[in-house]
Amino acid sequence: MSAATAIGYNFAYLDEQSKRMIRRAILKGVAIPGYQVPFGGREMPLPHGWGTGGMQVTASVIGEADKLKVIDQGADDTTNAVSIRRFFAHTAGVETTELTAEATLIQTRHRIPERPLQADQILIYQVPIPEPLRFIEPRESETRKMHALSEYGAMQVKLYEDVARFGHIATSYDYPVMVNNRYMMDPSPIPKFDNPKMSMMPALQLFGAGFEKRIYAVPPFTQVESLDFDDHPFEVQSWEDACSICGSDHSFLDEVIIDDNGSKMFVCSDTDYCRERVTEGFVGEAPAQLETEQ
Amino acid sequence: MAVSSHELIAGFADPVQASQQVFRSALKAMSEPGTLMQIDYLQQAPKGLDLSTWQLALSVFDPDTRVWLSPSLAASDAVVSNLRFHCQCPLVETPAEADFAIALHRELPLLIELNWGTAEYPDRSTTLVVQVPALSDEAYWTLSGPGIEHTRALRIAGLTEPFRSDLIRSRQRFPLGIDTFWCCDNRLTALPRTTFIEETC
Repeated sequence: MSAATAIGYNFAYLDEQSKRMIRRAILKGVAIPGYQVPFGGREMPLPHGWGTGGMQVTASVIGEADKLKVIDQGADDTTNAVSIRRFFAHTAGVETTELTAEATLIQTRHRIPERPLQADQILIYQVPIPEPLRFIEPRESETRKMHALSEYGAMQVKLYEDVARFGHIATSYDYPVMVNNRYMMDPSPIPKFDNPKMSMMPALQLFGAGFEKRIYAVPPFTQVESLDFDDHPFEVQSWEDACSICGSDHSFLDEVIIDDNGSKMFVCSDTDYCRERVTEGFVGEAPAQLETEQ
Repeated sequence: MAVSSHELIAGFADPVQASQQVFRSALKAMSEPGTLMQIDYLQQAPKGLDLSTWQLALSVFDPDTRVWLSPSLAASDAVVSNLRFHCQCPLVETPAEADFAIALHRELPLLIELNWGTAEYPDRSTTLVVQVPALSDEAYWTLSGPGIEHTRALRIAGLTEPFRSDLIRSRQRFPLGIDTFWCCDNRLTALPRTTFIEETC
């Protein structure tokens, strides 16, 4: 362990009894893909909504040999990602990395890395609201029944209302999926751009919701289908622009306002992917600056 | 049965790291069903338990897990004393009450005797841990389902015909079902309720 490891805390902060409880919930989650396993959520030293569910899963899974990467909206260098990465470097003494290819564990808030994940990597999602049906049916007793009976018509109606009103399915993130043809699952607020990556992914995907105290999982090579209609098939976002830094025209782009005149640039949301492309020699075109109106 | 101190053996030398490593092996086996894992954090198990069963128990059992033991394990002073001492897990009389049931392959309970959970809470089912005489990747069974890209071969020795067909048929009741760990010496694999089994031999 590194010299910087915190004194007076158990390895990776959580006590062993809590880890065992979470580990058993993870095993059940993996055995019933997409099903939300209730668990005894613990207090973590940061507020709910900052990734406490993902952190509890990470704390229960992580070991000395692991290399941890943490991303927030694809970026390694935003507040949430930096503090969670430092938390585990401090309490578990593990190595951390920003390279998707090198990481054995990746905790993520709202993105799946652009580089395809490999077998034996584990992707851990931070989930705010694990129940996809919650905004349709607020009662837990009812949503439990809906899952038990595979009664998912209400969600199709919600998507249909989008089609009726806007002419297309307007849900762009948190887009509901069916796992292994059985359970409807909330993929966490990832953009629907990332949904296709979940299906048949060689890596294990674990989901932790700290506030709602639920854990669920998608084992490797498991079918994950985004809901749609025959005449309105599922589609992901696309952009007319390319990344201003690396020129990528196939990654998920963030829009950044760069001056007071509304000039904007598009950049890869996945900072590691963008950096890697730049080292490979790819360059983007500088954004056009709008003239100031006098 | 009280704890007999002369039967006690040492647990993990480094419980935090060893428990985590054993859990990761169990997680890999459960998420990639039929993968054979080898776990070597201990050289000695209580007489009657396989090394892998014992290490799995040390890693996941605690006062919150009700454990059922098949008759000859339940009659073993060494097994009961060490489980009580190291895991403090309550031992229960019937498999239906158990979170984990440990059985020898020749003393397997019927699947219907275990707890299958409920339609609303299928996770409240018993996890079955079976000690078998041999475990290999010979193509006796062809496995498919979540966690398996195409198919995976597995051979579990010592199972009777009625039990094998019960297990294969139990897949029809998904999401209800019994998740299983199979232990042999220091090796372990798992078959969750989602894995389809086809008998090739």
